Amino acid sequence: MAHDASSIEEELMAFLHLQEVDDSAFNAMALRLFKYQAQFNLPFQRFCQMRGKTPLTVTHWHDIPAVPINAFKDLDLTCTPTQNCERVFMTSGTTRGDIKGRHYHPSLLVYDTSMRLNFQQHLMQKLPKIRMGILFPTVDMMPNSSLAHYLNLSLKHFGTQDSSYFMGPSGLDTQGLSLALKEAQQTGEPIALMGASYSLVHAMDALNATGLNFKLPTSSWLFDTGGFKGQSREIEANSFYEQLSNTFGVPRSHCFNMYGMTELSTQLYDAGNNTTPSVKRGPHWLRTRVIDPISGQEMSQGERGILAHTDLANYNSVTTILTEDVGIATDEGFVLLGRAQGSQAKGCSLAVDEFLQAARI
Amino acid sequence: MSILRFTAGYVPGISQEELAWHTLEYGDKDSRLEVRVPILMPAQMLVVTQSVKNACNAQIKTMDVSEIVRVIDQAILRLLDVNNEDRKRIDTLLPIATGMDSTMLRHNFSQYLQTFRALQLHRFIAEDFSNPKMLDEFQPRITGGWTKAVGAELITHIWAGNVPGLPLWSLISGLLVKSGTIGKVSSAEPICASIFAKVLVDIEPRLADCLSIIWWPNEDTNTSIHLFQQSDIVLAYGGNMALAAVQAQVPVTTRFLPHGHKLSFGMVSASALSVVRAKHIAAHAALDIVRYEQQGCYSPQMFYVERGAQVSPQEFAQTLCGEMAALAHKYPRSSLSIEEASHIASWRESHEFAMLQSPAVQVLGDKKDAFVVVYSDVPVSLNPSPLNRCVTVVAVDSLLDVMPLLKDQRSYLQTVGLATDPETLLALGDALAQAGVTRICAIGEMTSPAAGWHHDGRFSLSDLVNMVDIEASTEVTANQLTDYEL
Repeated sequence: MAHDASSIEEELMAFLHLQEVDDSAFNAMALRLFKYQAQFNLPFQRFCQMRGKTPLTVTHWHDIPAVPINAFKDLDLTCTPTQNCERVFMTSGTTRGDIKGRHYHPSLLVYDTSMRLNFQQHLMQKLPKIRMGILFPTVDMMPNSSLAHYLNLSLKHFGTQDSSYFMGPSGLDTQGLSLALKEAQQTGEPIALMGASYSLVHAMDALNATGLNFKLPTSSWLFDTGGFKGQSREIEANSFYEQLSNTFGVPRSHCFNMYGMTELSTQLYDAGNNTTPSVKRGPHWLRTRVIDPISGQEMSQGERGILAHTDLANYNSVTTILTEDVGIATDEGFVLLGRAQGSQAKGCSLAVDEFLQAARI
Repeated sequence: MSILRFTAGYVPGISQEELAWHTLEYGDKDSRLEVRVPILMPAQMLVVTQSVKNACNAQIKTMDVSEIVRVIDQAILRLLDVNNEDRKRIDTLLPIATGMDSTMLRHNFSQYLQTFRALQLHRFIAEDFSNPKMLDEFQPRITGGWTKAVGAELITHIWAGNVPGLPLWSLISGLLVKSGTIGKVSSAEPICASIFAKVLVDIEPRLADCLSIIWWPNEDTNTSIHLFQQSDIVLAYGGNMALAAVQAQVPVTTRFLPHGHKLSFGMVSASALSVVRAKHIAAHAALDIVRYEQQGCYSPQMFYVERGAQVSPQEFAQTLCGEMAALAHKYPRSSLSIEEASHIASWRESHEFAMLQSPAVQVLGDKKDAFVVVYSDVPVSLNPSPLNRCVTVVAVDSLLDVMPLLKDQRSYLQTVGLATDPETLLALGDALAQAGVTRICAIGEMTSPAAGWHHDGRFSLSDLVNMVDIEASTEVTANQLTDYEL
């Protein structure tokens, strides 16, 4: 059945711009999207039928079936046919061989609006713009990376004229980076350094190797996301932020971590990393539950569970996804404890995780 | 809420007060268990290794193998008595430490202990030594000369905790070849080895200094490196990554015997798939899956089922599902960590999605069941399940078609539970052996290897000894060096 996504996009845009929403408004929008997705997203429709959850029976957003992120690898979860989609973001594909998860976006209007409103609120706060240094490849280099797009968007909307990338086809531009940092130190103009967690490790290592340490101006901040993914040495969170803070002279309260996923259209942030693990929270159009993965029931506050996100900006795929991340619910959001590694290697029975590891070697 | 406490380990010659202790915690809000494990200072370690070696030479090496068998048999007999205090302690502590069902554990443990009764131990020895007396003294060789099997002076055992009681295998093997033993218990199950050591010494005081059961944190490489240098043999169980870390610390002059990751599965031929037989086989298959929650190297993770009989592979999968449901009631699944639960849920869900794409895949049962049976109507390569009662049943036209599906896992293959007729048994055995399988048994017996089995295709006892030869020439020379003249 042919359909037009524009009316739902419009509705959603108005919803994102609301200052805040109450439970019933969130519920109404979630159910509106569920109905839309259960009608036009055919693999999701079959999934809902299999689970016995259809728009006729679901009256609360908690009951919308959560789609495991792995499904983005096997299925085209989209309401608009893929050939009519402006953009597809792909996962880095590190957990299941070469199969990558795909997230289709008919247009980036909602995605970009979600990103901008949230970024403004959580990171920029009162400032309209800041000088940015991006430690990640450009969109041209990684056209299917949602993070590359995100960072490009940050730079375009919130970066001053003298912002720039310090990552090229041949890797980190240490010289350019240290020049920019020295300049910022001299002029007193704040700077924001943004990149994947591992690229910040590379930057720290490169700067430390040349004996460089900085004391960046007040209001400067650092931003990391995504963890180390085997791309750099692994550092435990607390010492990672300690080292960041020492290398760049930025207080840990200004070291922000973003939690984002290719399968979402909205990011979650913490309020700095004075203490780790920090509490992550999303904007009013995203809600996170901590659940028991087998029963699907919500865990009581303080208990460990698996994170399920309902992101209303995910209008074209599925609003509700089940991650493989372990967390604990708090009053303000959730604490992320890391990825569920599956059955721990207790002994000599080969379990899937080790198998995958073995298959990669 | 009550907290049970247990002191694990066995360190002769050093008082409890002089040792450092680490506390391991188990259980949940309702029943908790704290186990203290001993950690040795470098100087204490030196004392223990030296005294184990000395005692080995002065005591156990002077005992006859038959005497040692008698001692082990008595210790096992004591533990087989469910009213014995030591056995009661095992039955109380193991369910909390492992999270596994207490009835199932009690039953499995007794069955396991049976493997180490005197009759079985003698057979175990005969399996590896054509003449068991060669463990006691030099025995004449048919081709001339003499040979004696001399057990290592010191074997260090690194145990895993996946199967409760697992340490008994290698511990008993070491005793049978008259070796000194230092064993490192796993944090997951430090109980059985500790209790067994105490029972053994209680029965035979001469063994008191011949063994020691300790613990050290994995990151403490000083202890392990030092100990491995003192050892003739390091025998280690565990994941391949953990084993690689151990191997890196073992000197070239020390024999390293690793038991790493393994993958086991079942095969059911058409001849076993009449209505009556299929139900019986499925019931046994379910037991193999449930025992030890698939954590054993010999636990089945998939079943290949032949088409063409009265009961189709799909019907077999459904029957298995029914048997699993019955067992879930009788022996509830162990409590799962969030990580394990997430792994199982995502495994199940990935098959549900496959089901949406292809009618060849079916996920049987309900999402909330404490087990998952997946059925595939098309051939699938052997691959591991997330354990804890998750299994795939795969239909094949002929069991011989399974062999190419094993190729990628060659280095991991171990046990095959096989139900087939006498006509095909040896042919299938040949094909499986060629594929890399090292043990074939009946379905229902997968988790209970026979006494004297060749674990991972190796010799349990003869890998632990040096065969010492006195060649015929020595005897000829000796005969020329007599006091008397001919």
